[in-house]
Amino acid sequence: MNSASSDGMKDAHAHGLNEALIRLEAITKIYPMGGEIVRALNGVDLAIGANELVAIMGPSGSGKSTLMNILGCLDVPSSGRYWLGGEDVARMTQSQLAKIRGRRIGFVFQTFELLPRQTALRNVELPLTYTGVPNQRARAIAALERVGLGDRMEHRPSQMSGGQRQRVAIARALVQRPALVLADEPTGNLDSKTGEEILDLFAELHGEGQTIVIVTHEPDVAARCHRIVRIRDGKVESDTSTKPDTPVAAALAMAELAGEGMS
Amino acid sequence: MTILPNVQNAVEQLWTHKMRSMLTVLGIIIAVTSTITVVGVIQGFTSYVSEFLQGLGTNAMWVWPQRPPGEAGKRLGRIELDVHDFEAIERGCPALAMVSPLVRRETARFRVGREEITVPIEGVSAAYHAIRNVHVNYGRPFSVLDVEDAHYVCVLGREVLRKMSLDEGIVGETVLIENRRFRVIGLLEEKGSFLGKNQDDVMLIPYTRALNMYPNSRRFMAMTAQAVREKAVPEAKAQIINLLRRRHGLSAYQPNDFNVLTQDEILEAFNNMSLVATAVLAGIVGISLLVGGIGIMNVMLVSVTERTREIGLRKAVGARRRDILMQFLTEAVFLSVVGGGLGIGLGYSLCALVSLHPQMVAVTVPWWAVALGFGISGGTGVVFGLVPAAKAALLNPIDALRHE
Repeated sequence: MNSASSDGMKDAHAHGLNEALIRLEAITKIYPMGGEIVRALNGVDLAIGANELVAIMGPSGSGKSTLMNILGCLDVPSSGRYWLGGEDVARMTQSQLAKIRGRRIGFVFQTFELLPRQTALRNVELPLTYTGVPNQRARAIAALERVGLGDRMEHRPSQMSGGQRQRVAIARALVQRPALVLADEPTGNLDSKTGEEILDLFAELHGEGQTIVIVTHEPDVAARCHRIVRIRDGKVESDTSTKPDTPVAAALAMAELAGEGMS
Repeated sequence: MTILPNVQNAVEQLWTHKMRSMLTVLGIIIAVTSTITVVGVIQGFTSYVSEFLQGLGTNAMWVWPQRPPGEAGKRLGRIELDVHDFEAIERGCPALAMVSPLVRRETARFRVGREEITVPIEGVSAAYHAIRNVHVNYGRPFSVLDVEDAHYVCVLGREVLRKMSLDEGIVGETVLIENRRFRVIGLLEEKGSFLGKNQDDVMLIPYTRALNMYPNSRRFMAMTAQAVREKAVPEAKAQIINLLRRRHGLSAYQPNDFNVLTQDEILEAFNNMSLVATAVLAGIVGISLLVGGIGIMNVMLVSVTERTREIGLRKAVGARRRDILMQFLTEAVFLSVVGGGLGIGLGYSLCALVSLHPQMVAVTVPWWAVALGFGISGGTGVVFGLVPAAKAALLNPIDALRHE
């Protein structure tokens, strides 16, 4: 069930990396901070195939956030290559990156980041206004219905619960039919029951073929994922595949993770 | 991203911060209001003045004795313009169609029965009606005989009748002017008022009679004349000047001891005045636009800081730099154009208010002033919105999303 990171990479190679949705090759990210040079990422290799549900974990300062920014095309690496659906994103200009973000990546944030004065529907439509696709209204409605908020479309964020807000944010992430949904601590601001519901929604979306990467530091969130990538000191520390097909398996995986966390 | 969502967004922002937005655009409102009002008033006056000058008679000019300013003026002897000068001009200026003396006193006692008022009085010749375009529409005008024999006859303006509560029955009756008995022979048609001065508040008598009543004016007479054609106005003026200089024995180095003013020159003087007013307006507008523009820039900078996370989010979901730039630029322009619109409305109201004053001209706001109002407010929005919009556009999405 578990395998070391090097084995995981070999498995990935064996399955043919060229067909992976996301492929990071020797990614480094260096930035100066107060006269010193900080190596946030120090040669990350990672491949994520289509329809994977991956958790990225790591303590603060591990480079986890930097990796997420690069995965989300919010930032470009200092060196290395990043293939997203066959395109080398690492060499792109600001404007091209914005287009990639709009078309291929859906973000879900810990703090939802909804526009407070606009209705759920308008919030979900927002990404479409930048790509100019037709039938914006219909697509936004479909996305909201998909997350179970068909009856809350005209509500503003202030009139909704935290769970509902995060569902709106997920609908916004889905509305472009992105290649990758990138969730940053999606349950961090929610109580455990609501968080569980959101994770159920992610599981459902994964079941429908959506590729999802969840960045988290919570073991029980990671336990719901099929693969856990751990980052430490700017490198991939471990890459573990789990198959929490049954609740029992999930519980086992969780226990194991909890044990790891303690040791 | 098309313009419509940007405008929608700008409306929402403005609506959310109504108070702040209103205070921000105050400078723009003042600028546009003053533009509209001043342009309206100047336009009103210009059309009014040219209309008035037309009413004075076409191709009219005025001649009056005047001591020239400076040393040269002091060395001249007596400054005179008398009835012989008038007769010489009447005979010796082929470019003139008509000429009439104008002996004017601002106050003359006018009495009917027990009631007495003071009325401006003008001593004129028979040609005066034609030159000044003031016609008698009841009774008869002066005849040549009235003037030659200095008859005690007068023609009254309608305002005089109104003040004394008289009707047209006064024609043919006898009235007292400066305690002398005059027969009323006619009434002038209404001319209305000009710059608050009622032009119908006047009475005319033959100039020969007026010179008898006011002997001082015999050597200090003014005249009004009409050129044969519009093109002949400068020529007529030159002829008058030549003739009077010769008659007054002025040497080449001496200045004129009289003044000749044509209608065109009055219009030109007025145009110069309105030019000055326009320059003052440009100053006001410039300063208020600067103040308003800085206000807009300030508020937009605050807005960009407040909405840093929103900008980060928009960038994360696919907004390019130019999308964000356009969003904030649209907001700034919308803000200032709303200010411009309010200014235009306010300017219109002010013009309407000013027009209500009975002695004020009808103020008209030309369409180009409205276009100008929108143009300058929109332009200010672009110029002063550019810095905040660029600041927003250049934000790094990661930092923006992390902003507290």
